[in-house]
Amino acid sequence: MLPNRSRTSVLVFLLPPLLLYCAAVLFPILQSLFLSFFSWNGISEMEFVGLQNYVRMLTADDIFWRSFFNALLYLAICLVLQLGGALVVASLLTSLRRGRELIKTLYLLPAVISTVAIAFLFVRIYSIDPVGLLNQLLHWVGLGSLERAWLSDVNTVLAAVSAPEGWRFTGLYMLIIYAALIAVPKELEEAAVLDGASKWTLFTKIRFPYIRPVWITTTIMATTYGLRGFDIPYLMTNGGPGQSSELLTTYMYKTAFTSTDFGYASTISVFIVIECLVAVGLILFMLKRKADS
Amino acid sequence: MKKLLRAAAVAAVTALALTACGGGGTATDPSNVTPTGEIKPREISWLLSRPADGAVINIMKKLADDYAKDHPGFALNLITTPDRPSYIQKLETLAAANKLPELFDTDATPFAQELAKQGKMVDADKLLKSLDVYDDYRPGALDYQRFDDGSLYMIPFQFELEFIWYNKALFEKAGVSVPKSLDDIPAMCTALRNSGITPIAIDGQDQWPLERYVAYQPFREAGPDFVQKLKKGEASFTDEAGQKTVNWMADLGKAKCFQEGFSAQGYSDAQNQFTSGQAAMYNIGTWELPSLATDKLNPEVRDDVDFFTLPTIEGSVTAANEFVSPSGIGMAVNSKTYDPLVSDFLKFALAKYPAEYAATGALSPTTNVQTAIPANATPLYKKALETATTLGDKQAMPWDTQLDPTTNGRLQQELVLLVQGNISPEQFTKTMDDAIKQNAPKFFK
Repeated sequence: MLPNRSRTSVLVFLLPPLLLYCAAVLFPILQSLFLSFFSWNGISEMEFVGLQNYVRMLTADDIFWRSFFNALLYLAICLVLQLGGALVVASLLTSLRRGRELIKTLYLLPAVISTVAIAFLFVRIYSIDPVGLLNQLLHWVGLGSLERAWLSDVNTVLAAVSAPEGWRFTGLYMLIIYAALIAVPKELEEAAVLDGASKWTLFTKIRFPYIRPVWITTTIMATTYGLRGFDIPYLMTNGGPGQSSELLTTYMYKTAFTSTDFGYASTISVFIVIECLVAVGLILFMLKRKADS
Repeated sequence: MKKLLRAAAVAAVTALALTACGGGGTATDPSNVTPTGEIKPREISWLLSRPADGAVINIMKKLADDYAKDHPGFALNLITTPDRPSYIQKLETLAAANKLPELFDTDATPFAQELAKQGKMVDADKLLKSLDVYDDYRPGALDYQRFDDGSLYMIPFQFELEFIWYNKALFEKAGVSVPKSLDDIPAMCTALRNSGITPIAIDGQDQWPLERYVAYQPFREAGPDFVQKLKKGEASFTDEAGQKTVNWMADLGKAKCFQEGFSAQGYSDAQNQFTSGQAAMYNIGTWELPSLATDKLNPEVRDDVDFFTLPTIEGSVTAANEFVSPSGIGMAVNSKTYDPLVSDFLKFALAKYPAEYAATGALSPTTNVQTAIPANATPLYKKALETATTLGDKQAMPWDTQLDPTTNGRLQQELVLLVQGNISPEQFTKTMDDAIKQNAPKFFK
């Protein structure tokens, strides 16, 4: 416990960032909530419409639901790539004797490349005419029948735009999980090995439970990042073809800035906020229950 | 914390209420084109959506510098966002914040009409007449900028003709000739495909190039009025002209007219496909003359490139010399900041602009100057420019400047699906008619 005076000073120092946070995060959320009850094109008079925007969103907008399910799938792919990939790579790294720093740096590299560059890079990778890297690889390994225009095919486009986001941040989460894994006490692992635990048991019974708090944090981070995913799909396909890669975020953006329907766009953004809160709540609830059991 | 939250909420609501009140702005009379008073030089801004090193910007920069010599303190701040969708978003956001600069670019969209209705733009009809330059403009160049009611609020800086460029050698190889009718194109595509040639190179990423095609059949079948009615819901895709275009687009898709994966390919991809001799056709305007009709063009295809204008159809109500001839994005003058300085500068610039622009080898929106053909031009350059002299009265409007923005976005999305064969013509027709029914009333009250 801090002495009284220093607790006051801590509070004083916490206040400026808190105010900044309120101005930058809470205020826009409240503003969106307020706007969501209006019909407004940005230049004419605002018209109060009550819950009409919400009713339209939930009952009469096929693109909204399409975007919502797309966003969930996008999230799932990102999470598998980011967290699954990160866990595998981090675990392998711990058993590596040499070259760890090099591999860590290589994996982290995509996280520092600009999004626009990544999007353009992947557009080239997926291209069919001229043949991009992916189709070329498939051709070389004899899977020529799978060659396709990945970004124009309604069945593959969503996975195709999710992969760059997953690929990009795998290194970042790997680093966090790796830091947690090397903090697992060696004595515990050695004791388990002496008791005859297999590598799998060692991982599931000792290592993973030990890093669970870090795992929860990374899951929450990756989920919220995934739910607000916007730039790469927007740059690569602009939500197309049709609505095949439309996410809630890109749909909200278009509603606001292309359709100039600021009221309805605010309604969608309120939904996104709620969705993020629900997702984080669910993660905490599920992981906590598992830890308790 | 609770108190803090409440305080933040109050602040949010107050701020919003204030901005909402301020939204109306204090527009001056938009028809007063001759403001009186002293010319006080200052910096003025032009928010524009044109290539940064393009002729329009370079010339206006030079003219602004010339003007500043006699008017110390004057400067023209050019803020360009060439990417059209980003530009439109910027424009709409600034309009919503009531922060539009002295001059800004816009097409004759429903959004721009709303701005004009609120008195935020100077009446360009009156302005050009008061500057004594109105009669210099090509009627077609001005008509392209007009709203449906005939009012004019934008000033054109370009004049372009859109053609279908084609590669004679590839046509010969596939045994096809220039189509006599729009309806011939799907069969042509099949013949070209059978010879291993990509029929049409298209920039699918930017969406407007594909949207051009949907305008062609109705323009021939029912004339320029069809889209005016369609956008308000007075005509529909189930009409004869509507069905004709829907089925034709589906046929283009079935015949694999566009390059594979076109929806993810950009402007330069399409241009490269055509100029490298891989694709047989390329539908683009005279703004690309420097790369299609000069010695910059790949020598291997240079002598093979030619163009034809939009084919007609049987029973066409519009003539062969009537097609898409846009005068580019227009420039609007903000009525709120319109003063003797802005008026005087425009008078100076608009009088000198056409000669400077024509000297760059481009078609001027006015008829009082002669376009200079560049030294490195191929004979095609002259042929393209001469087409402007035989142009008919009616012009096909690009639909992206006509439809309300939500319907337009939906149309761009659904067109790709239709052409790719992901949806049937019936599904397309229903989706689009529903979209118009739902969105048009808000914009065309």
